[in-house]
Amino acid sequence: MTMAPARTPGTGKQPASPAGTSAGRPRVGAFPWAMAASIAVAVCGAALSLNGVLRGWAWYWPVLTTVLVVSFTLAALRAVRAQPLLVTAGGFLSLGAILTLTFFRGSSLLGLIPTGATFTELQRLVRRASETVLAETAPVAPNVGIVMVICAVLGLAVILVDALAVPLGMPAATGVGLLAILVVPAMIKPQSVGFFGFTVAVAGYLMILACSQWFAPDARTQADSARNPGQVRRAALTGSAALAATLLVPLAIPGFDQGTFPQGSRLNPWGTSTGLNPMITLGNSLRTPDGSGRITYATNASVPLYLRSVTVDHFDGESWGPDDRNASRLPLGGRIDPGYAVLADEQLQQVTAIDTGTFTSPYLPVPYAPETVRGLDGRWTWDPATLSIKGTDVSSRRQEYVVTSSVPKLSAGLLAQSSSGVRDIPDDFTRVPGNVPEIVRTTAGTVAGSASSPYEKAMAIQRFLRSAEFTYSLQSPVQNGYDGNGLSVLADFLDQKSGYCIHYASAMAVMARLEGIPSRIAVGYAPGRLTGATVTVAGQGTLPEFEVDARDAHAWPELYFQGLGWVPFEPTPSRGVVPEYATDSSAPTAPGSLDNNDDLIPDATPAPAPVPSATPLPAPGTGGGSDDGLQLLPWLFGAGGVLGVALLAASPHLVRTAIRARRLRPRDPGDAVPLAWTEMLDLGTDYGVAPGSSETPRAYSTRLRGHLGEPGGMDEAAHRAAVALTAGFERHRFGPPPPSAGGQDADDGGRTGTGAKGGAASGQLAALELALRANATLPQRLRAAWLPPSVMGRLGRIIAAPFRAAGRALAVTAKAAARSWPVRSR
Amino acid sequence: MESHRRTANDVSAATGNLAGVPDPVSRLNGHRPAAMDGESFHAASQRILTTVNTVIDGKSDAAKLALTVLLAQGHLLLEDVPGVGKTLLAKTLARTIDCTVNRIQFTPDLLPSDVTGVSIYNQASRLFEFRPGAVFANIVIGDEINRASAKTQSALLECMEEHQVTVDGNSYRLDEPFMVVATQNPIEMEGTYPLPEAQRDRFMARISMGYPDKDAEIEMLETHQATSPLAKVAAVVTTADVAAMIASVQQVYVSQAVKEYTVSVGRATRESPLLRLGASPRSMLQLLRAAKATAALDGRDFVLPDDVLQVAEAVLAHRIILDRKAAGAGETPHSVLRGILSRLPVPHTPAEPARQPRSTGRSPAPVAGVGRNH
Repeated sequence: MTMAPARTPGTGKQPASPAGTSAGRPRVGAFPWAMAASIAVAVCGAALSLNGVLRGWAWYWPVLTTVLVVSFTLAALRAVRAQPLLVTAGGFLSLGAILTLTFFRGSSLLGLIPTGATFTELQRLVRRASETVLAETAPVAPNVGIVMVICAVLGLAVILVDALAVPLGMPAATGVGLLAILVVPAMIKPQSVGFFGFTVAVAGYLMILACSQWFAPDARTQADSARNPGQVRRAALTGSAALAATLLVPLAIPGFDQGTFPQGSRLNPWGTSTGLNPMITLGNSLRTPDGSGRITYATNASVPLYLRSVTVDHFDGESWGPDDRNASRLPLGGRIDPGYAVLADEQLQQVTAIDTGTFTSPYLPVPYAPETVRGLDGRWTWDPATLSIKGTDVSSRRQEYVVTSSVPKLSAGLLAQSSSGVRDIPDDFTRVPGNVPEIVRTTAGTVAGSASSPYEKAMAIQRFLRSAEFTYSLQSPVQNGYDGNGLSVLADFLDQKSGYCIHYASAMAVMARLEGIPSRIAVGYAPGRLTGATVTVAGQGTLPEFEVDARDAHAWPELYFQGLGWVPFEPTPSRGVVPEYATDSSAPTAPGSLDNNDDLIPDATPAPAPVPSATPLPAPGTGGGSDDGLQLLPWLFGAGGVLGVALLAASPHLVRTAIRARRLRPRDPGDAVPLAWTEMLDLGTDYGVAPGSSETPRAYSTRLRGHLGEPGGMDEAAHRAAVALTAGFERHRFGPPPPSAGGQDADDGGRTGTGAKGGAASGQLAALELALRANATLPQRLRAAWLPPSVMGRLGRIIAAPFRAAGRALAVTAKAAARSWPVRSR
Repeated sequence: MESHRRTANDVSAATGNLAGVPDPVSRLNGHRPAAMDGESFHAASQRILTTVNTVIDGKSDAAKLALTVLLAQGHLLLEDVPGVGKTLLAKTLARTIDCTVNRIQFTPDLLPSDVTGVSIYNQASRLFEFRPGAVFANIVIGDEINRASAKTQSALLECMEEHQVTVDGNSYRLDEPFMVVATQNPIEMEGTYPLPEAQRDRFMARISMGYPDKDAEIEMLETHQATSPLAKVAAVVTTADVAAMIASVQQVYVSQAVKEYTVSVGRATRESPLLRLGASPRSMLQLLRAAKATAALDGRDFVLPDDVLQVAEAVLAHRIILDRKAAGAGETPHSVLRGILSRLPVPHTPAEPARQPRSTGRSPAPVAGVGRNH
C-alpha cells in the first residue's frame, strides 16, 4: 500500500491561541505585565538575601523602587509594542533616570537629567563604594555609595533578565542573572544566602518560566505548550523538587551550616586570611570550627607570648583598618628600633623561632617588640611607628624565621609612676575621632573619669570590660548585626555588652584615647598551647614548641606610657593572659576576672599555661582524655561507610536477583507465563531495550530479537526462546481462557497455554540472557549486572512518588492562576 | 439495520459459545456451515494466496488484505491511479473461488436498476417478473465505482449492508458469501464523483495497490506479454469452503483486552484534534472482524493487538475526515492514524499477575504519552 511518509503526529496542529488568531495584529495582553512582575519578584527576592551584606533594611527601599521602575518601564514599552532594542534602551534610560532621581537629585536637571556635576558625584560615590568593598567587613553600613552601586547592579540585572526572557526567548537562562545576585551573599555572608531570599528568588524564577510558557508571544512555544500541557507541571515539579533539595540537603550534610560559601574557610584554597585587613577576617577566623592556619613557634620567653601582626590606630571612618604608612616604611635589614626611649630598669630579651605554616597574610606575626628578624624569604618592610612588618611582594605563607625581641620588665609600680604628659608620639595615636558615639563618651567618663593617673584609668577601663556585666560571645554580634568594627559597632557593643576580642580591644583603645592615653589596637594571636615537641634554636638550645591557629586569633589594646613604651592590656574576658602589671592583685575587683587570672597565670610555670578551660570554643576544651574515642570513631565511621557504600552498590544487583528468583518459582503455576514474560521485559530493559507503552508484545519481541545475533547462528536458541516466551504470553494474555480443570476435550489441547512452564521458562530466559549479554557492550553488561535499569527505574518511581503528588497539586494551583490571570488584567 | 444487529450478535455469540460450549467444532446450527479446522483453513487460504500471487506480482500484502476482507464478510475498495492492477486483483480473487462473479462497469449513465435489477412485464404470463441485476452474484466487481452518479452508487448501499435487494416492495436475498470489490481512481482524477461518506463507510477496507517494485515489474513484463495470466487461473476453493472459512473466522476468540484496545483506537480517533470525523462504531466492528480474519490467516485462534494494528489503517483511513487545519498542514489520514496508533498504549504487561483476569484493564482513553514507533 502506498502511504504518505510518516510524519510526526501533531505537527500540523495549530490550536487557536486565545489572543492570537482573531485580530490581525496579535494582542499583547497581560504578558509584559506578568513578566515584569515575575522579574521584579525574582530580582527583589534575590536582593532580600543581601541583608547581612548590608546592615539593616534601609537600603532596600531604593532597591525596590529601582527594580520596580525599570521592570515596569520595560513592560510598558512592550505593551505599546515598541521594538525590542528600543525596549532595552528604554530600560537603560529608566535605570539612569531613577538612579539620578534617587541619588543625584541635587546635581541634576529636574532631578532626572544628569549633568556634569552628577558625574563628579557619581565618581565620588563609586570610589566610596569601592572603599567600602575593599575595607569593610560584612555587614557593611549602607552608605550612599554602596547602595547606589547595588541599585545600579540590580537594575542592570533586571534588564539582563528581561532581555534573556523576552526578546532572546531563553527564559531558562534568566537564572544566570539571578545567580549573579545571589553569589554576593553566598560568598560574603557567614550564613550564606539565607532561606527567605533564596526561596523568593526561586519562586520569581519559576514565575518567569511559567509566564514565558503561558503568554509566549511566540507561536512556536505556544503551540508546544498547548500540545504539551504537562510542561508546566513538569517545570513546577522540577523546580519545587530542586528547591526542596537545595534547602534540605545542606541540613543533612553535617558541617555545611556555617562559614562562607560553600562551607567556611575550610575549602578556601588560598590559606586562612588573604584579606588586606586582618580585622575583617578576625571574626571569621575565630568562628572556624577547626583550627586552620596553624602557626608553631618556640620561644624562651618567660611570660605568655602574644604574636602581633599589625596594629590599628585610625579610629575614624566606618570601618577600621591598618594604616600601612607606606611612605615611611623602612626595609627590613638591621635592627628594628622602636623609636622611643624605655626607662625601665630591666629589659627582657626573648628569642622566638616561628613557623607560619599555611597562615597567609601580608603581615608577619612577631612578638613585640621585635629587634631582629632572621631567616625570612622575600622583601619585607617595617613601620617605625607601629613596628609592624609587612611583605612587599611576599606573604607570610611558609615562612620560618627567628625573632629576637625585647620587652621592658614592667610592674604596676613602674606604670603608676608614668606621668600623664606624653611626648614623642605621632598624632595618629592620640587623636580622638570626631564622631565618637555618645554612649562611648559617657561610659569612658563614668568608668575612668575619676582615676588620676593614666595607669589607673587604664586599669579602670580594663576592670570595667572584664567585669561580669560583659560576656564573651562570637555569635551575638552576628545575630544582632554589629559584627565587625567601627565606632557604631562599638556603640552597639557597649549597649549589648556582648562580643569578642575585637570589640573589647577597640572599646578599651577608644576609651583610653578619650581619657588622653595614646592607644592602638594590636591584631595577632593570643598565647598558644604547648605541642609537647621541642625545637632546637641556634644559640638557645632546645625550646618548648607552642601552636596557635585561627581560633586563637586575637586583638588587644596597646597603651602608651611615657618612658615605658607601648604596653599591652587584656580587656577581653576569658581570652589571652592578663599581664602581671595589669592585674588587680591589691585592689578589689570583680570576682570573675580574678578567677580568670588565677586560671590563666600559673605562677610556677614560666611557660604559658595551656589554653584555659573556660574558653567557649569546644575544640580546645577537649583535652587528651577523649583522644582514644576520637581516634576510634573515624575508623568506625569509615568502616561503616565502606560497608554501607558496598551494600548500596550491591543492592540493585541483589534486588534484581531476588526478583528473578521469585518470578521463576511462582507460587501459583498459572502465573508462570506472565511472570516469565515480565522477566523477559525486565531483562530487555536491563540491556537497554525497554518496552514502549504502545508496543505490542510481538513488536517488542521482534525488537528485542533485533539486538541478538542473526537467527540460525549462535543465538538460535535465544531467538527460539524469545519467540516461545512471546507466544506463551500472547496466548495467556489474549488467548481464550484455558478449559476448566475437567476439560476433557483433546482438540482443545492446543489452547491450554503451556508454552512456558516454570522450568522451561527459566531455561529460555537463561538462553535469552546469555545471548543478550554476548551481544552487549561491556558498559551495558556492567550496568545490567550492577545497576539494572529495571530496578533503578522502579526505585526512581517510588522516590519520585511524593514529588509527583506535590507537582500535581502545584499544577492545579498554577492552572487556576493561569486561567484567572489574563481575564483579570484585561 | 437488522443485519447490523445480527452481526453484532454473531460476534458475541461466537465468543460466548466458545466460553460455554467445550466443543465448538461439532456445533452445527441451522443455516451456518461448520467451521473449518485449522489445517484445512491454512491450506485453503494458502491456495488462494498462491494463485493470486502468480497473477499479480509483488502484491502479496494487498492480496492477503483482500482475502482478509473476504473472510471477514466485508467489502473491499481498491483505490489507486489507473493501471496498477486494481481490476486484475479483483478478478483474480473472484476467479480463484468457484462462485458466481458479476462485473459492473460503472459509467456516468449507469442506472440504479442496472445494478439491482428491474421488474418487467412478461407478456406471456402477464405478470411482472423480476430480472435480477448485476449485483446478484457471490462476488460483484464494481469497476470505477466513482465514475457513476451518486444515485447509482447508493443503489449498492442496501445490498452491501443487508445482503438483499428490494425492488417494488419485494426483497430478494443475495447468495452467501457476498462481497463487493470496487475499484476507483483517486477523486482528483477527471470525471469522478467522490463516494459519499455513508457509502465509504460500507466498505470494510480500502487498499491502495501502489506500484510494484522493480523486480516484480520486470517479471510482469516477462510473463504478461503474450497472454493474460488470468486465463490460466482456475478455482481453487468452493463456495462451501469459503463459507466454512468464514465460519471459522467468526469463531476466533477476542479477549477483553483486545476489545478494550479496539475501543480505545476508536475513541482516540474521535478525540484527536486533527480529525473532524473519527471512526464510527460500525467501523470498530469491522475493524475487529478484519482483525479476527487476520488472526485466522495467521493460524491463530485468538486476536492479538498486532492484528488490530495490522488492519487498522486499511479499515479506518477511508472513514476518518481530517480537520481542515491538519489537512492544510500536509497531514493525511494515514499519517494521523499512524500517529494515534503509535501513541496508544497497548495492553502490554500483566501489571500484577495475581490480578488476572484483567476485567478492569487500562482505561481505553488515549494517554498522551510519548510512544515509541515500531
